[in-house]
Amino acid sequence: MLTSALSIKGVSRSFGGVLAVDDVSFEVAEGSLCALIGPNGAGKTTLFNAVTNIFPPTTGNVTCFGHALRDMEAASIARLGLIRTFQSARVFPGMTVLENVLAGGHLRTRSNPLAQMFYLPSARRDESRLRKKAEALLDLIGLSHMAEVAATDLPMGAQKTLEVARALMAEPRLLLLDEPAAGLNDTETAEIANLLCAIRDAGATILVVEHNMSLVMGIADHVVVLDAGRVIADGTPGEVQADRRVIEAYIGMEG
Amino acid sequence: MLGLIEALIGGIIQGGVYAAIALGFSLVFRVTGVVNLSQGAFSVLGAMGMYFCQVKFGIPILLSVIIAVLGTALFAAIVGATAFVPAVFRLPVSNTLMLTAGLLTFFEGVTLVVWGNQPYALPTFSGEAPILLAGIRIPTQGLWLSSGSLAIIVGLWWLLHRTRMGQALLASAENPLAARLMGVNVGRMMVLAFALAAGIGALTGVLFAPVAAIQFDSGRMLSTSGFIAVAIGGMGTFGGAVVGGLILGIAGQLAAFYVSSLFATSLSLALLIVVLIWRPAGLFRAGAVQRVDVRVNSIIHRALVRLPGRAAIALGGVLLAVFGCLPLLPLPPGVISSLAISMIIFLAVLGLDVLMGYTGQVSLGQAGFMAIGAYAAAILATTHEWPPLLATLAAMGLSLVCAFALSLVTGRLRGHYLALATLTFGLLVDSLTVGLIDLTGGPSGLVGIPSFAIGSFEFDSSEQMYYLALGIAAVVIVLLEGGMRSSFGRSLQAVRTDQLAAAALGVNVPAVKLAALCISSALASLAGSLYAFQFHFLSPEMVSTPRSFDFISMLVLGGEGTLIGGLLGALFLTMLPTLVQSLAVYKTIVSGLLLVGAILLLPEGLFGRMALFVARRWTSGARGKE
Repeated sequence: MLTSALSIKGVSRSFGGVLAVDDVSFEVAEGSLCALIGPNGAGKTTLFNAVTNIFPPTTGNVTCFGHALRDMEAASIARLGLIRTFQSARVFPGMTVLENVLAGGHLRTRSNPLAQMFYLPSARRDESRLRKKAEALLDLIGLSHMAEVAATDLPMGAQKTLEVARALMAEPRLLLLDEPAAGLNDTETAEIANLLCAIRDAGATILVVEHNMSLVMGIADHVVVLDAGRVIADGTPGEVQADRRVIEAYIGMEG
Repeated sequence: MLGLIEALIGGIIQGGVYAAIALGFSLVFRVTGVVNLSQGAFSVLGAMGMYFCQVKFGIPILLSVIIAVLGTALFAAIVGATAFVPAVFRLPVSNTLMLTAGLLTFFEGVTLVVWGNQPYALPTFSGEAPILLAGIRIPTQGLWLSSGSLAIIVGLWWLLHRTRMGQALLASAENPLAARLMGVNVGRMMVLAFALAAGIGALTGVLFAPVAAIQFDSGRMLSTSGFIAVAIGGMGTFGGAVVGGLILGIAGQLAAFYVSSLFATSLSLALLIVVLIWRPAGLFRAGAVQRVDVRVNSIIHRALVRLPGRAAIALGGVLLAVFGCLPLLPLPPGVISSLAISMIIFLAVLGLDVLMGYTGQVSLGQAGFMAIGAYAAAILATTHEWPPLLATLAAMGLSLVCAFALSLVTGRLRGHYLALATLTFGLLVDSLTVGLIDLTGGPSGLVGIPSFAIGSFEFDSSEQMYYLALGIAAVVIVLLEGGMRSSFGRSLQAVRTDQLAAAALGVNVPAVKLAALCISSALASLAGSLYAFQFHFLSPEMVSTPRSFDFISMLVLGGEGTLIGGLLGALFLTMLPTLVQSLAVYKTIVSGLLLVGAILLLPEGLFGRMALFVARRWTSGARGKE
């Protein structure tokens, strides 16, 4: 068994008496691509927000690479190497596409603001290193030709991939993606799937929330199914697909 | 004991005034989600109208009141429909807040042009002699005032809860979308709320003017007190507005009674700071202020102004050459000194650009740091005979300490509360510059401030000060440009638009805000020190809160997030009244109109527009759109 990148133990979160996430536990092995799926309203995003302390868990513990996340600020969590994206693409308005990706490199900046202000050679080298990397990432997601465009002028699908590129710029050890394929067409979804596999093969661990079963089943190493705030299945894609409760949760919802 | 009771009664009367103004705030805030900083100006307009009807034309009191109140409401309806409401629909909250600051200046300008700058005192409604009740003196106008405030409170309650129009207003406040689906014209309701608040303000002003001389800029003080009352009580609650107003009034009068009237303002401001720290949302929780949720997506942003590196260097070189040669032209001495002043003020605007333009932290307290810089340097150089350079540096150090203290309060605040906290800070500094007479010379000011000097070289002419400020500005711009085009600048901008996403990428949001505040306050402090050395004289109103509003006008007019833009704004607003002396009386109205116009029509500012034009030329033929 590989070591665990993210370990969620007995996490619950309630909003004014409504239990949105109910005693959830699972592990994400280092280097794996884990998918968290479930019907609408199953509590997937709430679980993400609980893990990253945006809405801290009411009870339970989360550890990331052995560090307990309780009471940690969002920025400190990011410093552990856990980088997340948001369900509604949150690119920075008022910045270009390239600047958005560069903004993701905050943690990878080696020079300090004073050095940047005084144009010290170290700062300029650092900036051009970051810039090359950002350009390479834009190339990877096929947005190089849009580098100088205002990020908010991109179509929604491109904004979502841009957000993934921005997260990659931070060189995450563990990447939490919240519905990266929502609102994308089939081609774009396939591209995202390829991108996710490439990220995992490059050594990062990924936990992806996805609504779309077919995307996830093809690429995930490990699938956790959430329904009404509880884990109803946890295993390989094959095991999960065969699980009666999973089928009920999905068919039941759609029927 | 009698004195205490009289102070309490005075507090209740004063509190009634604040409560009535706070109600106007709350009404507009509930329906539009924006704090209308121009609320206090309606009281001034009402009082001025009343004066002219009653004293000039001899119209009977009651009729005069009606004319003044309806006239103000009608004027407000026009302004609301043409400027305020369109902004509410189109712009993010912080810009709308700035727009209302522009409206405040505009209303002051109107008052100045129509009625001049002398104070007006209305006759009391029923004689000067106070009523004696068991040995306690109660001024009769106080009775008119408190019954007037009571009538406003009851009348507003009746209007909102017992009439169809009031129901439509409340519906627009709680769920604009649903209200629209039910056939309520939300835009019209916003105009109505704005006009109604103006009417309330005018009525308060009419009742208040006989006990306090009103002049064109009294609206600022009233707006501020009302804003503070609302913040103490809780924004958007009508009960909170009334309680907040009364608390503020009574606390002020008691402070004046027990301590000194000089520090009454400081104490009520300290009260506000306590409330902001202890219960940032005010004493009363607002029932349902849905506007925030509804408006969360309205982050419409100005077009991106990005000059390619070489274009920026070329432009900077040209600008430096032009400004370096300006004093060589045969200009009258007055113009040279205005140029020097513009350049000094530009330093403070530069700081504000880092804080507001890049980091998105609204600041209505920039003049506070200018005042600290000006007074600290002037006192050290004059009373303690420190060398001016050392005094200036020490003043910057003091400003940084104050910035750090301020950040402890403002760190968690956003939007309106941040604006309020910075405004409070500025006013607190104002009241100290007036109150600490032994140190600052009080209202009459400090004289005999030496010229700025580095070693034995004295900058004793305006021309030398101009070159000094130009040199500093050029160096600061080059340094800031380096920071803004790197990781540091990107983290500032990330914080401006999305603090949550920035934090998720590892940006230490409080540290970034503190850094921006430090840069901003250090530059304001430097500008203040140079300002004092330039004039050789310093009085509180030279560096008081209206300056903060000027800085914002200059920044918005020139272009936020452009660094150099503020220079255009500073030059324009400083030079205009000097160049056209006969038009000096129009300065305020023009400044207000420019700010409102720039926010509505030119979000990139003058420099931003020019830079966009240059950038397009520079990359013309190249790929992509702007």
